Amino acid sequence: MAPPPSPQMLGSKERSLFTQVVKNYENKQYKKGLKAADQILRRSPNHGDTIAMKALIINCQGNAEEAFALAKVALKLSMKSHVCWHVYGLLYRSAKDFEEAIKAYKSALRLEPESQQIQKDLALLQIQTRDYQGYVQSRRAILQQRTSWRQNWTALAIAQHLAGDLTNAERTLSTFEETLKGVPPKTDIEHAEAVLYKNVIIAEMGETERALEHLDAAAKNNPDRTSVMELRANHLLTLGRKEEAAKVYRMLLARNPEYRDYFEGLQSALGIEKSDVKALKNLYGDYAKQNPRGDAARRIPLDFLEGGDFREAADQYLRHMLHKGIPSTFANIKALYPDTSKRDAILELVEGYAAGEAPPVANGSAEKQPNSDKDLFKISARYFLAQHYNYHLSRDLNKAMKYIDEAIESVPESVDYHMAKARILKHYGDPKKAAEMMEEARELDLRDRYINTKAAKYHLRNNDNEAAIQIMSKFTRNEAHGGPLGDLHDMQCVWYITEDGESYLRQGKLGLALKRFVSISSIFEIWQEDQFDFHSFSLRKGPIRAYVEMVRWEDHLREHPFFSRAAISAAKIYVKLYDQPHLAHGSLINGMNGDHMDSAERKKAEKKARKEKEKQEKAEAEKKDKKAALDLNGEPKKEDKDPKGELLLQTSEPLLEAMKFITLLLEFSGRNIQAQQVGFEVFIRRKKFLLALRTLIASHALSPTDPITHEQMFRFQQSLSKLSEPLSPKAMQVINAEFNTLLPASTDLTKHNDEFLQRNHNSASHVQGYLKVRQLIDPSSKEKNQQDIIRTLALDGSSLEDAVRGLDMLEEWKAESRYKDDYLVAAHERWPEASAFKQKVD
Amino acid sequence: MDIRVLKPADIPHVQSTNITNLPENYFMKYYLYHALSWPQLSYVAVDVSRPKKTPYDPPKIVGYVLAKMEEEPVNGIQHGHITSLSVMRTHRRLGLAEKLMRQSQRAMVEMFGAQYVSLHVRMSNIAALRLYRDTLGFEVEKVESKYYADGEDAYSMKMNLNPLREQLEADEDYADEGEEVGDVGKKEKKKEDGEQGKTKRKVKLGRGLGVGELVERNESSKA
Ligand SMILES: CC(C)(COP(=O)(O)OP(=O)(O)OC[C@H]1O[C@@H](n2cnc3c(N)ncnc32)[C@H](O)[C@@H]1OP(=O)(O)O)[C@@H](O)C(=O)NCCC(=O)NCCS
Repeated sequence: MAPPPSPQMLGSKERSLFTQVVKNYENKQYKKGLKAADQILRRSPNHGDTIAMKALIINCQGNAEEAFALAKVALKLSMKSHVCWHVYGLLYRSAKDFEEAIKAYKSALRLEPESQQIQKDLALLQIQTRDYQGYVQSRRAILQQRTSWRQNWTALAIAQHLAGDLTNAERTLSTFEETLKGVPPKTDIEHAEAVLYKNVIIAEMGETERALEHLDAAAKNNPDRTSVMELRANHLLTLGRKEEAAKVYRMLLARNPEYRDYFEGLQSALGIEKSDVKALKNLYGDYAKQNPRGDAARRIPLDFLEGGDFREAADQYLRHMLHKGIPSTFANIKALYPDTSKRDAILELVEGYAAGEAPPVANGSAEKQPNSDKDLFKISARYFLAQHYNYHLSRDLNKAMKYIDEAIESVPESVDYHMAKARILKHYGDPKKAAEMMEEARELDLRDRYINTKAAKYHLRNNDNEAAIQIMSKFTRNEAHGGPLGDLHDMQCVWYITEDGESYLRQGKLGLALKRFVSISSIFEIWQEDQFDFHSFSLRKGPIRAYVEMVRWEDHLREHPFFSRAAISAAKIYVKLYDQPHLAHGSLINGMNGDHMDSAERKKAEKKARKEKEKQEKAEAEKKDKKAALDLNGEPKKEDKDPKGELLLQTSEPLLEAMKFITLLLEFSGRNIQAQQVGFEVFIRRKKFLLALRTLIASHALSPTDPITHEQMFRFQQSLSKLSEPLSPKAMQVINAEFNTLLPASTDLTKHNDEFLQRNHNSASHVQGYLKVRQLIDPSSKEKNQQDIIRTLALDGSSLEDAVRGLDMLEEWKAESRYKDDYLVAAHERWPEASAFKQKVD
Repeated sequence: MDIRVLKPADIPHVQSTNITNLPENYFMKYYLYHALSWPQLSYVAVDVSRPKKTPYDPPKIVGYVLAKMEEEPVNGIQHGHITSLSVMRTHRRLGLAEKLMRQSQRAMVEMFGAQYVSLHVRMSNIAALRLYRDTLGFEVEKVESKYYADGEDAYSMKMNLNPLREQLEADEDYADEGEEVGDVGKKEKKKEDGEQGKTKRKVKLGRGLGVGELVERNESSKA
């Protein structure tokens, strides 16, 4: 920034010193800058602008508090100085308080309406905070200061576009175009982009006819040929000019025959109905012939062909892939499995191959050679079958194991086969063996990071966080601050941080778990902040459509499952902390969470743990490297004062902390039923009944028979009927009216629950939901519930996860051990390999 | 598996794919820098048949090529560079990497008049070497010793894009789009002379724009 100094109070020497300070600041020569500033202040101790500059520099050195204090002093001295206000705004900006920053910039601008710099800083924050109207104003002001720059026109058009004012956005772009003398050459990329941007805007207005005319007139020579063709094909199709559309889609397919959108476009342009299998078959057949190395034209017909046609096509496709020994064949096929007849046909074909019905291959009989094509074909078929039987829609783990063992016997060095075997073991419910097997796979190809990643993930699933990070460290930059884990955070390795957190959560180490989930949230904050520089960068660089797409994507960044997955877990931990406050210290008790101790025992254990912890911390402090690590900006990295998340756990307001996640979840992932359900848990505890009810209504709309929603509905009813303080009559009225649509007041609860069971008696998770409710409305049914839950183990569709959840329910009910023992025996019988049900030997 | 151009919304999964497959990793902003500077050059392979777990599941990326143009080409000779390429192990040998590369290369020529494309590859990476040299036609330019953080040497490889340009021009004549394409390659010179009386910004764009500093730091830390 270079605000012109307001040097009225300074002598000429000081004036030039002040210029020096500004320069030093811009060049990041902070020490020099401070020195010069102090020199001025010795003469003129009340010079507000200098004090403000000093504040700015101190802020850059990482001392925000002192900087703010100084800036306030400066402002008091010079309320009328735009420099002081500008600096004030910059400080708020760096503290990410955009609202205050905008106010300060506006004050500065009132004092110095001509300042380009302040105007720009303001504009950037306005777009960052999506104050579109404000942004339009600022861009207009900036444009007026310099109308010869195309950038400024484009920027105004973007502002108008984003603000929803398409007509003026187009007009702005056109106004600039009219000033051009002649058509810019094809090589003017900025122009080429602006033309396509304008075309997109016209199309967004729904004026397809005009969009097409514009495209044909203005984009003939546009170098972005893919975009031009895609737009053209789209416009033509929208206008029903099918013959021409088909021609363009064919051109697109000639360039890229691996994009389903193009095929679909061509299909509708040719007017081929989805039911016209013959025409489709011919269409794709032609493309398959044209592209010997292509996949789409061969694979897509498997989606629409049926019966004998399907079998024939599948046979050809599978033979081709398996002969080449392509390991990803199954990954490419399994989407067909929801159709059982296709699944059966595939199985029959591949079982045939594995049994040796492969036709002799062209280059003759290499019977005895172990690496002959024919052998490869057979082995690939077995590998395919192993994956088939491991897949959840066609699972038979014993068969899967048999096939994979055969494949491994033939090719003992295959990473892929070992990897598949590890997955089978995982599905058996034995994470330890699975991790060991994935280790074997990893050791077969130490240079491949993919298999390294898998091995680390399996260690995490086995709750062995140490081994996992150790494996990861073979590919991380270990000199990074915080070692391998620090590098994974720097590189925003979301999957690892999330899995690490989930692993700690399973182990009851809530502090570390929470720490990881909060890290995910911080990464999303960085991702949101990342767009800031592009508001100016993209204008200079020119590709505007991509920029607008980025802005729109950032608007709903947090709907990404990477975020919701971590946020849901974080909120659940806070709920847990609210219900069992002792857990805040529980993670200190050597991995146990203290659930089963009485309070004297717990205190003793906590004391012991505290001592141990102090000892450990002292040791760590001594061990610690004296040198301060540098972050990516070469500045000293802030020490993490809470590496284990213990401070996070000690919050006195867990539910308010949870709200930080709930608010974002409900705003961005409202159609995710888990988000609604965890929202309910928080609201009901905060006694926000109306909000809790809203989540219930939303979950119910998403899935009327969801067992968790079913249970929550009853809990809601119970909470309302047992209020310690009555709600206001008005609130009560609203709630009753809305709740009535879910569970009318007249409902016989027991009967309603029984009916829920009747409708869903074949599903373990629904039976569990039923039992939970029965326990809730009739605590005397506990004995029966403990018995009945065992029956869920016998249900056909019961999964390993269901069974584990049942075990958790017995824990929750504090069931007598004989019930648990019976349950474990039955579960073990059904899932003999699963470690969760192996009786622990004390 | 679809092959299509990379969009900003794909980036989290592209980043995941990268850190799953390769030791050279970048933060989000570096991907954005590519996607917002040369949006035509980076491509992704998408598993379109994957069942969704939530209504918000973004497309599942199983491979990508992240590509750029050289910011400050020596002698103004435009050329592209492959920053990163990888395919998930579960989807390898389907031809995805080859297709991603070919799409990117064509865009380099059409959009930016690239004369050649360059890249670095670990000398021990046999799969990638076969792909570049045998399938695509790259040539080894030189060995860069200790190019990678762990001390491994790199082949610096190059592929001449002029044959591709000629082929595209021939196709275009055939398609009868009736346009001049011959001047694509001359673009940069013109630019520097400034056209239409407007002084064009120099191509010096990475720098001084906030993104730039980060980019360079990142590239050096990766290399
Ligand atoms: C290198 C990599 C990108 C190749 O991806 P891919 O999608 O499997 O490659 P393709 O299917 O397009 O292969 C095209 C051609 O490359 C060659 N090739 C690819 N993988 C090969 C391998 N493992 N061994 C030998 N040749 C191989 C083959 O000639 C192949 O043609 P073919 O299948 O008709 O024989 C992939 O292995 C990968 O992601 N590896 C890890 C990351 C990496 O190394 N990236 C490159 C960094 S510079």
